[in-house]
Parts: sequence; structure tokens; C-alpha cells
Amino acid sequence: MVLKALDIYKLLPKKNCKECGDPTCLTFAMKLASGKGDIDKCPYLDLNAKNILGASTRPPIQLVKIGVGERRFAVGEEFVVFRHEKTFYHPPGIMFQVSDIWPAEKIESVTRRVGSEHFVRVGTDLTFSGVAITNESGDPDVFSKAVGVVEATGTHIPEVLMAADPVVQEEGLKKCGNFRPLIYSATKDTYKPMCALAKKFGSPLVVSAKDLESLGEMTKLCNAEGITDLLLDLSFPSLRDYVPAATEIRQKSISRSAPELGYPIFLDTTRYEMQDTALVLGIDKYAGVIVTPALGPASSVATLTLRQNIYTDPQKPIQMNPGIYPVGNPGKESPVLLTVNFSLTYFTVQGYLESSRVPCYMFIVDTEGLSVLTAVAAGKLNETLVRDSIKKFDLENLVSHRRLIIPGYASPLSGKIEEETGWKVLVGPRDAAEIGDYLQKEWKI
Amino acid sequence: MTEMKTAITLGNASLKKKLNAIEGPFAYEETAYHLPVAYALTGRPVHTAQEAIEVYNLTDENPFVACESVLAFSEQGPGREPAPYTGFIGDAVLRKLGYSLVDGSILGLALVIGTPGNSDTASRICRELQEKYMLTFLAGDVVPSLSSASVKLGLEYRLIPLGSTSIHGVHFVDIITRVALMFGGVVPGDPGRLLAYANQRAKAIAIVFPGLDNEGIALVDALRLLGIPILSLGGYEGGEWTTTLPQDAVREGMERKGIKVTVTAIPIPMSCSPAFEGKSIRKEEMYVEFGGGRSPAFELLRVKPASEVTDGLIRVMGPEIESVKEGSAVPLGIIVDVAGKSMRKDFEPVLERRIHNFVNYGEGSWHVAQRDLIWVRISKDAVKNGIKIEHIGKLIATKFRIDFPDLLDAVQVTMVTDLQAVLAGKKEAEGIYEERDRRIQGMKDTDVDLFYSCTLCQTFAPNHVCIITPERPALCGAISWLDGKIAYEISPSGANQPVEKGVVIDRDKGEFEGVNRFVKKASHGEVERCSLYSIMEYPMTCCGCFECIALMLPEVNGIMVVNREYKGDTPSGMSFSTLAGTIGGGAQTPGFAGISKNYILSDRFLQDEGGIERLVWLPSLVKEELKERLVKKLNELGHPDLFEKIADETKATTLEELVAFLDEVQHPALAMKPLL
Amino acid sequence: MAENSPDLGGKIGYVVLGATKAEDGTRSVSYRLGGESDLPFIGMKTSLGSIPLVAFEICDDPSYWSPIVTSYTGDLVSDTPEWATAAEQQYGADLVRLYLTSTKRRGFDDFPSITKVTEDVLSGTGLPLVVEGSNEPAIDSEIFQRCGEAGQGERLLLGTAEAGRYRSVAAAAMAYNHSMVAQSPIDINLAKQLNILLREIGVKADHIMIDPYTGSLGYGFEYSYSVMERIRYAALKGDTDLAMPMIASAMDSLSVKEVREADPVIRDDIAVAWEFYAALSSAVAGASIVCVRHPKTVPLLKLAFRELWAGKKPGEF
Repeated sequence: MVLKALDIYKLLPKKNCKECGDPTCLTFAMKLASGKGDIDKCPYLDLNAKNILGASTRPPIQLVKIGVGERRFAVGEEFVVFRHEKTFYHPPGIMFQVSDIWPAEKIESVTRRVGSEHFVRVGTDLTFSGVAITNESGDPDVFSKAVGVVEATGTHIPEVLMAADPVVQEEGLKKCGNFRPLIYSATKDTYKPMCALAKKFGSPLVVSAKDLESLGEMTKLCNAEGITDLLLDLSFPSLRDYVPAATEIRQKSISRSAPELGYPIFLDTTRYEMQDTALVLGIDKYAGVIVTPALGPASSVATLTLRQNIYTDPQKPIQMNPGIYPVGNPGKESPVLLTVNFSLTYFTVQGYLESSRVPCYMFIVDTEGLSVLTAVAAGKLNETLVRDSIKKFDLENLVSHRRLIIPGYASPLSGKIEEETGWKVLVGPRDAAEIGDYLQKEWKI
Repeated sequence: MTEMKTAITLGNASLKKKLNAIEGPFAYEETAYHLPVAYALTGRPVHTAQEAIEVYNLTDENPFVACESVLAFSEQGPGREPAPYTGFIGDAVLRKLGYSLVDGSILGLALVIGTPGNSDTASRICRELQEKYMLTFLAGDVVPSLSSASVKLGLEYRLIPLGSTSIHGVHFVDIITRVALMFGGVVPGDPGRLLAYANQRAKAIAIVFPGLDNEGIALVDALRLLGIPILSLGGYEGGEWTTTLPQDAVREGMERKGIKVTVTAIPIPMSCSPAFEGKSIRKEEMYVEFGGGRSPAFELLRVKPASEVTDGLIRVMGPEIESVKEGSAVPLGIIVDVAGKSMRKDFEPVLERRIHNFVNYGEGSWHVAQRDLIWVRISKDAVKNGIKIEHIGKLIATKFRIDFPDLLDAVQVTMVTDLQAVLAGKKEAEGIYEERDRRIQGMKDTDVDLFYSCTLCQTFAPNHVCIITPERPALCGAISWLDGKIAYEISPSGANQPVEKGVVIDRDKGEFEGVNRFVKKASHGEVERCSLYSIMEYPMTCCGCFECIALMLPEVNGIMVVNREYKGDTPSGMSFSTLAGTIGGGAQTPGFAGISKNYILSDRFLQDEGGIERLVWLPSLVKEELKERLVKKLNELGHPDLFEKIADETKATTLEELVAFLDEVQHPALAMKPLL
Repeated sequence: MAENSPDLGGKIGYVVLGATKAEDGTRSVSYRLGGESDLPFIGMKTSLGSIPLVAFEICDDPSYWSPIVTSYTGDLVSDTPEWATAAEQQYGADLVRLYLTSTKRRGFDDFPSITKVTEDVLSGTGLPLVVEGSNEPAIDSEIFQRCGEAGQGERLLLGTAEAGRYRSVAAAAMAYNHSMVAQSPIDINLAKQLNILLREIGVKADHIMIDPYTGSLGYGFEYSYSVMERIRYAALKGDTDLAMPMIASAMDSLSVKEVREADPVIRDDIAVAWEFYAALSSAVAGASIVCVRHPKTVPLLKLAFRELWAGKKPGEF
């Protein structure tokens, strides 16, 4: 049952004491309703209210933090089944697998790669998240040594310790347990010692079982041991079962009909022949931590881009930094095309400009990520913004002419921009695809 | 004069006689539909005289069945008529014709039949049909008449001579029938659906010259059953054909079947495009101006009966551009008369507002404001290129036809530049503006059965449904009930749909059965109930575009409103943007609602919570903006002092300050029924 | 795994593509798409629906095609029917999608060539065919009439209709019993609106496939992904105006910067990855046909779909 702000407010003490940090009880209720408040911050709640609210206001999926320092990440705490309903908040951690039977150099090189490799897309740094060290040797010392090799790189990236035997696991943890590695994994037979380790080192823990029902039982058992930072292992024998299981978990946890499944999902793609397929499914459908072999260059960029796409807030479009972007090798007499800083608009226009082979400047103004049509309608794109941006980016010294091409949908502004800036405004096409033709025909200096 | 009733009887008798005279097997060539009319009506493939007579009897002696049986029999092999006559048209050609009909390259089908007195009239009518993208079929004497006037005939000219006798006109019917079978999903043997298709979807007309023989009259008269308008050019007495003049026949026929020619080009020596909308014309660039306080001017759009509007007619009353001195101000009245079957009086103001856009689309024409406040300029460049005042009228008329093809059948524009005429027209127009204002202001939710929805915002708020009523504009403030209504008329499958109110569930809360049903469906099942006049229970969902947010403040038993432009803190402890982030995205949040500014002035504002007396806080900017109307309203309600009791940010930005202020002024909300 | 979604009630309608000899056509196979009553991949026990099909895209004027494909494929691209044969026999596609890019040439008026290339491609492959007609509204009428006629009896999928430009495609579909692609610009309501317009002029729902427009990975793909999920979910909740199978083609995949400017050594691999990730994710979001242009992407997708759809054959339920 999902409570609305008003229902929650009715249960609050209505003292407006501000002790929770919010100015009024209503504000606090709004926060709780959106799953972002902490019920324990209210010192005056009676037990009954606490019970009702506790069940319905804590995030439906547990937030689990992995790693420490700059590269740590958190998964879980999601609120919707489909990203269009609001957004997905916590992108899955993608961990490159290394094995304790590999030579140290190989382990080291993969670790260093994850530590340093990064791709920049639309102004965001994209990186892989960490390494997963598997215990193939079965030997605690070998495992411990492999963990040591990873640690010795000084990359401080998050780790998954993949050792089924608690004894082996403990040896690994001794090397890195202070850095919140993810422990993989507790089964029906090993949950007690594994929970003890998780408790001892303050680490999150993956639970494994043959189906969802047993996974639910496992989380209850671990909860009883005092462990709540859990992940559910969905690396079932057949990849076919992944999407249905992940979907069921998401649906039931969001609707709070199975709180025992309210944990992030763990997927080990190294078990499957079709690793790219498994990766895509994991990213699209709800995985929190994905283990994969170190990816080749092609899959690497595609994987990170897909993850960025799926975890983009649909209500907050990705924005470009406002400024002037040259296309080709423009000179003093090249055309200047104004558009908005909605990334999709930027890239679309840029693509067509590049293929037009007319060197030019893209003049990106800050419309807070709104598209042309909406920015014009909302008044975000207006003559003063254009005037100020011309000054700010020193457009007047960049080109010798005073002519500005604006998007077709911004045509109602042409007169006002001319008056405000003194630049002559040319109205370009509405459809970016026609920009090449337009420049060929209309741009004469 | 031929007396119709007798002629039909005699014609049918004669057809029956001919039918009884045929014998043996026969068939049309190149068709899978046998005798198409007989097959469509009964599902029976007719290939012998015996079968033909059976079907004829089965269909109550249908003259089409008689005609097609007779022709199929007589035109076999050597009986086929020589060129230019086509005779029966095979399925393959027909499929292409059907394609052109769906595709829109042919707008409709016409049958022209009878004996034209002179071939000029016939060729004029055919040319008009060609110009209006009609595919025309000819049967009987009309063919030689056209040939004698050297009119080119054939499929490529869209003039198809079916045959030399009047009963060849039945091929027109077998074509419509096969189009129904091929494209309309009509099944052979289902006469009901065939008739429904012919009546509702087939875009066909018949134009009849005098002198048709009795068989032809019987055949043509039967077209009435198919819903085909029959335009007679005289010579027939009695009966139910429409008599008209040759110059009106095509237009009348097309209007009766709702066949519309789409206009795409604006024939004036000036570029017209939305790209020029924002272009202003400075004083030094201007050749002439109208209105703007420099001369009297107004604009008026009126709906008129079709008979009073000549489509495309542009008149200039008073001096044209040649007799206007450069740089001067001239009086102007823009009078747009429109006609259209679904056009209604209450659309007038909405359409009238478009004059502003249209004039601005011209590269060298500029327009601001509305009604009798308009200010129009034409640039020197435009005048140099040959633009006249008449062309501005042409621009307006043509744009209306392009933008509202389904709503408007005819648009005529009068541009008045004569001072006395403008003054007189302006006075009359002002009367009309006042009347319109009264009508709209007075409109109540209880006066209408339909509200309108808006789902434009579902692109980013997937389950949001706005319900727009006369007394509650869309929460973005941009769409009134009237706008929603006209948007629906113009684009019936668009984002604004009619919502039947249905049974009232709760009068105060504004909950209606029909609205609930609609909202549930349009929100994809996410929202079950919606109260239009309450923010406490099942309030309307919020997309994100709301002008203001109304929310309850339990501590003061009142409701505050904050607008988008207000950036500071509010007594709720949350700023506008924090609030917007929490309640937007299509969610239903009891105690909170997105609203438009104007809704604050509505009688339905917070109706269930006790109305405007609940309003305890409103940013000063909005207060100021609404002041005049708000004070007037509060006076009417008997609360002349309430305006001062509504706090703003100068009085309170925290809850504590608000409580203190409200206590001090004795705000009525404090004593009202508890909100919770 | 168990059937686990809440009972949604709606069901995606069917569309049949291609006609075999038994169905009065000449295709070696025909497909029935649609029929799903749950989210993609789910509903194993009841109606999982049809396995997604992989369409291989070719064109009749390769000067308008990605140089990545033309240089990988070589001379073959200048023989359109042979290219279609390769799509079936070498790459293993389920469908061929023919783009009549020749119509992009300035002042195009060689209409008989349209009939010819359509007929030749139909002889070149036994697979059902998708034909993407005119690129220029002024010649739509002539082009689609010819495509429709050339494929009469073969139950083609004709594309692409948009709001404001759908009549010729619809007319050809209705006149010659083909299905058609209805494309809207990443907007569920516009998708619905176009379907209503098509219904109003007489196109039956079982002759329509929705193309929600697919942006390529990194360039708006997320919008397409979500709109597909929304369309699918709305249909499952009972909106019959959206209950048609979807077709997705992230057709700009090979021209985005990451692919176009990739190191030539790995450019083909990047191209394949870019297509594969978007195509598989489109199927996850509900697409019934995914389209690609790089020959190497086809077998990868086929393999993935076969595994995820429990070894079903295309068109089988």
C-alpha cells in the first residue's frame, strides 16, 4: 500500500517542531511520501504510527552501498517499474571479472584498466565500476593473494569477492574488508557464516537460491542475522529466466506485496555464452550489480552508453554546456547557428551540420535542457538570453559578420532578437534534416 | 418538361422488358465480381439470363441489376462499343482508381448524363470537375456533345466516356460498388453495409442535363438510395432531384457530399511562412500602417450562411495601395466571413485570433493586438514587389482554408479602407465583441454537457489528464474550454477530446461519472476518480505545466496558492520548484493541485473546501495582477475586506508568521469547517 | 518462471506478413506477429507471443547508404536482388527491408524502375518483404501505387506513413492487401492519433505496425525505449488503438559519431555493437521486428532471440 502525503500527515504529530530538519510536518510528510524521508527523524511518533509508516515509507528497494571513496556506488532505492513513470536512479555497477588463477599481471592490468579507463559522452564521465575476483583455485591463500594484487594497484575501485566457501571468503575480506566489498554469496547452507562475515566487515551480501521464493526466504533468514544490505542473485542456469524474474521482483517490491524481495539484483553474465545479450538484459531490466568478463572496445562503449541512456531522467533531459562549438574549420565569415542546450537537439543538429560540409559555429544557449519548441513556449529562449550569450561567449570577436541563424520554431523571436542584439536574424528550417540544404541555398556572405 | 413519376415507372417497365429479352450465358470481362451490383446486393454470381431475372426479383426489381444484366449481355465480344467508349471497366484499372481515391489524388466521382443544350455548358462543367480533382464519368448524349466541342476524353483527362446510352451510367454504380467491396470491407450479400458505405463514404455526385430518356431517369433516380446528390439542370418536373444552375452544380454537389478541395499555395507576390512571424516592420521600413492609435481599425470574423459567402472572394472597399501616400496611416476594417457545415458561432473569437498569425506570416506584413486595437503595417519592400491591400485579404482567406480544411467550406474577406465605412463597421464590431464577452464570461459548467480533455503533456507526464470546463481552464492557463472545443472540431483525433459529464456523483466536489470514466481510460487505468472542484480528495493530476500550485495548510485551515514566477519561500516550507518536483509528473496528490491563475477567480475555485474564503496566501505579483477582478468578485460575494486579509510574502514567508497574520486580521478560514 | 504480471487484460493484435504458395503468394515463409498478452519475454506459460524478427535493410541506390556497410559488403550492394539473396542465404535474416533510396535523387522520375526493383527483389529472396517507398511527398502517389502493385499477393509491409503523409501508403496497402508501417515521432499519443486516422480511411488494425521512431544508441534511444514500453503497456491495459505489433529500426546507428569516426580496425565491431544493443533493447521494450544494416549483426540477434524465446521459430507460437 502506497501512502499519499496527506495520509502520512494525518499520522504525524503535527507539532511543526522542526526537529526532523523540515520546516513543517507537511513538508516532512511530502518527503516520506516520495520515499526520500527517514521516518526515524521524527522524535514524537507513536509506535502505532511508526509501524504503519515504517512499512510504507521506507524505499521499496533497499539502498545498498558498495565500495568506499571516490569510486563507491550505490544501487537499489528505485521507485518505479518503468523509467517513464519517473526515472531510474541508480545505474548498475558493471564489474570486470578477474580470476585468482590468473597471473598477477593479468589481474593487475584489468584492475588498472577499470581504474583509469573512462569515456566522455554528453559531458559525463563514463566508467566501469569495479572488479569481481573469482575464487577458481579453491585455495584461500591463492584467493587472498589475488585480492592483494587488486588492492596493491591502489586504484581503490569497488570489488566483489566471489568465493562460495566462507573460509576462503574470509581470507579475501581480510585483505579488503574495510572497503565495503560485495560478498558473493550466501546460500541456504552458508548464510550463517556469511552473515557473520558481512557483519564483521560491514559488507553487503549477495544471496543465492534456486528461485524467487527461496530467495525471499533467504533474505528473511539474513535479516534475522541482522543483515539488511542484501542483493538477490538472479544468475539462474538459463538466461531466459532472467527478465521474468527481475520483472517480478521489481513489480512485487514496488507494490510492497513482497517486502522480502525488496533488494537490488545481482547478475553474473560470465555464466552464459551470450554475454552481450546478458549485459543488455541486465542493464535494461533492473540489475544492480553485473559481473562481466573484461569487455572489448566495441562492447565497452555500447554498454556504457546503453546504461547512460536507460538511467537518464526522462523528465530532466541531458544538457549540453552552453557555448560555441565549431563544426569543421569555421572562419570569421562562417555562419553561426543558434540552438538550445538539449543534448538530443544538439547532437541531431550537429550530425546534419557535419554532413552538410559547411564549416560553421553552433551557438548553444542555456534553455535548461528544453527543446526549441518548449523553450520558446516557456519563454526560456528569449531575446535577452541571446543577447547575454552573445556577450558571454564573445561571439562578436569570433566572426566578422553580424548574422545569426535561428531554428525555424523560434521564428516568433526573430524581430525581438534583432532589436535586442542588433544582429540580423535569419530563420532556419524547422526540421534539422533540412539544415544542409538551407545553408547551401541561403548562406551568402 | 418530363414528368418524373411517370418517367420512372415507364423507364423501369422498359428495363424489365429488355431484361426479359436477354438469353443464354454472359459475363463482364476482367472482373472477379461478376455483375457487381447484383453480386454485392445478394452475394450471387450472375452469369445467365435465368439468374439475372431471379436476382432482379430478389432485389425488388432493382434498375441497376436490370441495366447491368442488359449491358453485360449486349456488350459481349463484338457488341462492345468502339473507342472512345470504355464500356465496363475491369478490376485492375479500378484498383488504381480506388487507390487514387484513398490517396487523395482524386477527390471524388461524378456522373454527367443527359443531353446538353449546348456543348459549351457541358465542357465548362467538365472543366470545373477536372479542376476540382473529380473523376468524371459520362454516359449517353453528353459524350458526342463534348466531342463536338473538341474536349479531350479518356482516363488520363479524368473524363471517362462509359457508353453511348443513358443506361451505360450503371457502370458508375458498379464502380462505386466494387470500390466498396475492395476498399470498404463490404461483404457480398450485405446490402445494408453496401448502402451505408455508399451513403457515408462514397464521395460521388451526379449532374443531369435535360432530355434524359425514361430508362436513364429510372437509373439516375435510383442513385438517391446510395446517397448520391442529383443536381438537375432543369427539364424535369416533380421528383426529388435538386434543380440548380450550371455554374453552381459542381460546387453544390461537392458541398452536399462534403468533398473539399485542398488549398496549398497562397497566390500573392509575397512569401508567407511561420518563419516570418517574429519579423517586425520598423517605421523606416514601413510603407503604410493601419490602426495602432494612428487611424481607426478593427477586425471581425463572422460565420454566415453558405449562400452569403463566396469562397475566395476578396473585396477592397475604399482606396487601394496605389492611392495611399508612403508613410501614412490609413483606416482599416478586416471583415472575414466564413461558412462551413460544422462551423459555429462560438468558434468566431478563436478563429478571429488567427488573423494575427496569418498576417504576420507575410514577409512584408505585420500585425499586433486584436479586435479594435489592431495595428497593421505593410513594408516598402512588399509594396515594391506588388503587394496590395487586396493581397493581405487573399492571404487571410487562403490561410483559413489551408489551416481549417474540415471546418470551413468558404471564406471571403472584405478589406475596408474608407474612413466612414471603417467607423461604421467598427461600431458594429464593438457591439459584437461585447456580446461575445458576455456569452463567454457567463458560461457555467452547468450550461454544458461536455467538458474537454487535454493530454498534450502525456509526453512527459504519462498518466496526466487535464479536464477543462468553462469555469476551470487547463492548469497551464493556455487552453480554455472553448479552445479545447475548437481544437477537437479541427482535429477530432487530437489531444483534446470531448468528455461527457454523465451523472453527478458529488456536486460540491465536482465529481462526475463520465469524467471518472474518461480519466480512468485516458490515464491508462492509473487514476480512478477525479474531483474538479476540490483539492482534498481525488484532485486532478498535475503534469508540470501548471501556472500555480494550490495546497492546503492544515495549521491555518486554509489554502495557499503560489505561482511559477515566485522564487522565494512560502509558508508551507517549500518553494514552488520543490513543490512542483513533488506533485508533478502526472500524479494525484490529495491536498495539492496545479491550477491556472484565472481559476482563482472562478466560482468553482475550491468549491468543496468553501471557495475563495479558504485562500490565505498568494504572492503579491499575482495578487496585483488579479486585483481588479478579484476585488470585484469579493465585493460581489460580500467580503469586501477579504482581499487585504489574504497574506503575501510581504506579510509572511513562514508558517509562524502566517498564523500570526491571519489571527490578527481574523481571516475567515480560521473559523471554517476543519479541512482535515 | 511463473506468470507474474498483474492481470492486464489487453492483448496485442496480429499482423500477417508474406504469403506462401498456399496463401496465393510466392514467399517461402509467412509470419504472424503479435498475440502477446504480457510484457516482453514474460508470459512463458500463456502467450509469449511471436519471437522478434530480424529484418535486414538494403536499398536500391547504395550511394545513399552507410560506407561502413558498402565497404564491408563490396560490389554486392550495387545488385539489389543479389543483395536480398545474401540477406536471406548468407546473413540469415527473417525479412528483407528494401529502401527505395533512388527516389532521393533530385528530380527522380524513373517510375518503371520502382516496379522493376520491387519485382526483382521479390525474385531474389523468398522472404517476406518490407518496402520503404518514396522520400519525396510529391511523388508518393506514383511510387506507392507501383510498390503496391508490384507486390500484389505477397502481403508486403509498406512504409512509412506519418501524420500528414499517410494516404498513399494506406491506399497502396488497401488496394493490394498489404500491411503498413505507421510512424510517429516518439510520442504515444501521436502514435495513437495516426492509428485512428488510418482506421478512419479504412485501414484495418491487423494491417498496421507501429513504428515509434527509434533513435540510435546514445542519440535519443532512451526516448524510443520508453515510448515503446508505454505503447506496449497501454495496449496490454486495453487500449486497442495501440495494440499493434511494433517495428524498430535505429537506422542512424551507423552514422553516429562513435561509429562513423571509429578506428577502422574495429569500426565494423563498433557498428555491430551499436546496432545489436539498440535492437535487443528494442525487443526488450516490445518491438516485434528489429531492423539492422550490418550483415554481422543479424546472426547475433537471431541467436539471442532463439535463446530467449525458448527455441521457437519465427512466426510460431
